[in-house]
Amino acid sequence: MAIKSEKGAFIFEPANQPPAGSVLYEEHLKLTDKSHIAEFAGYLMPLWYSSISEEHAAVRQKAGIFDCTHMGALEVSGKDAEGFLNAVATNNVALLKSGAAQYNYILDAAGNVLDDIIIYRRSADKFMVVVNAANEPKVKAYLSALQNGKASTEGRQIKIAPVRDMRDTKSGADCRVDIALQGPESVEILNRITGQCVRDLKSFTFLEGKIAGANCIIARTGYTGAKIGFEIFVHPRDAAKLWRRLIEVGAIPCGLGARDSLRVEAGLPLYGHELDGPYNISPFEAGYGWAVKLDKEFFIGKAAIEKIAKSYNMKVARVELSGEKGVRPVRQNDGIIVNGVCAGWVLSSATAGTRQIALVYAEKDKIAEGNAVGVYYLARSESQKAKGKKESVKKGEKLEPEITGKIISRFEKF
Amino acid sequence: MVVKGLFYTDQHEWAKVEGDIATIGITDHAQEQLGELTFVELPDVGKEVKQKGEIAVVESSKAASDVYSPVAGKVTEANTQLKTKPEIINEDCYGAGWICKIRITDKVSLENLMDSTQYEEYLKGL
Repeated sequence: MAIKSEKGAFIFEPANQPPAGSVLYEEHLKLTDKSHIAEFAGYLMPLWYSSISEEHAAVRQKAGIFDCTHMGALEVSGKDAEGFLNAVATNNVALLKSGAAQYNYILDAAGNVLDDIIIYRRSADKFMVVVNAANEPKVKAYLSALQNGKASTEGRQIKIAPVRDMRDTKSGADCRVDIALQGPESVEILNRITGQCVRDLKSFTFLEGKIAGANCIIARTGYTGAKIGFEIFVHPRDAAKLWRRLIEVGAIPCGLGARDSLRVEAGLPLYGHELDGPYNISPFEAGYGWAVKLDKEFFIGKAAIEKIAKSYNMKVARVELSGEKGVRPVRQNDGIIVNGVCAGWVLSSATAGTRQIALVYAEKDKIAEGNAVGVYYLARSESQKAKGKKESVKKGEKLEPEITGKIISRFEKF
Repeated sequence: MVVKGLFYTDQHEWAKVEGDIATIGITDHAQEQLGELTFVELPDVGKEVKQKGEIAVVESSKAASDVYSPVAGKVTEANTQLKTKPEIINEDCYGAGWICKIRITDKVSLENLMDSTQYEEYLKGL
């Protein structure tokens, strides 16, 4: 676990605002009971419509759609756009071709991960940057601070380019919000309402064209582990119509619950859980060292993360456990037990069919694929505490596991 | 859905009282909020519990929630079917999805509970 450094850290205090409905809020109310809608990252979002397990299965077997209109979408443009992004992001943006997308991290000068993002290159001097909903205010504030010389660039002069919020309706006709269509039937579903040749789109590429009459960015990206899936960026005024059309032609609406269980099953990180968060997990520990180009001349946070890259001894791993009914589910911060000793903690977990998948953070020399690992359940209730169940566990503590699983491959595609 | 003739708590448990035995469960509102249940921790038979004392834990893949006893008394029976089939609570929370039976030691405690009309009103206010 890396220690949070103060030097060069970007400190952001979010404003406290009441939650607002997403662009598709009215559509959600038509499809599910209000009790299934909860606050997430400042938005009122559906947790599920039918059930998490049905929606999870729909994405694995057919195709599901997700309201991702809460995701941040920023435009960085102008002759210095590439230079600015290449200083701000860890991957090599100069190698990104028009029509392609790239996974990236934004670090502060102390090497802390501010967000994981996808950069879409729309032309030589125009980029769309998609950021996590929960981090959007922070990322906007950070980019603005860099533009105004208020955030550390480690003494370097960096190129500066204008940033525009693409979800702001003042952005005009090219305002965009994200709706994700994911699963094996995604191509057939899109073909029913667009003449665009989406079948040939490769992973992490996109095209711009019309779907059901609306101008869209159609990208082969996603967050479900589906081999076939799209994110469609559409004007907010067309979003509800597109959402309804996609459901009419066979897409199954899916809530945040399935969004989480699908990404956990696939091994994909969630900021605040498998990245940064209470354990301050770095991209290297998360299994994404490839997206941090240490051979790049410079990016903000490079010196700090170079040290982490050489010294980390914990890693994120994927663990498979029984998910049969009647098996107590593992939860965040439960202990990972190897040979009777706590070697780390559960970060996220989900039920997928008859298995439970947990993403765990543990000593990297103890979590080779195929290894058996146990889990110690933390106290879930007052009476368990009274019986001596622990509320937290430390690495190195001797503990008896209550359920055993095994380490499986870090990622899985479906 | 609220069933007539039962007692209710503000924590969304119900009690069906027959003689001095109360059958305990969680309400439809509670199971809707929790989603698909995957695990239920049942009380031991013989356990003595106060009113509002912890009696069980129900868990879905997303949340763990304590179940508090609507009445004071001693557990006489637990619904062991729930050990392997916790989803019965989702399917029939007021019937086959009962959690345990309690021999009531303090009948006065029933006066603190809501009837179905009061509970319905309470739900509207949430």
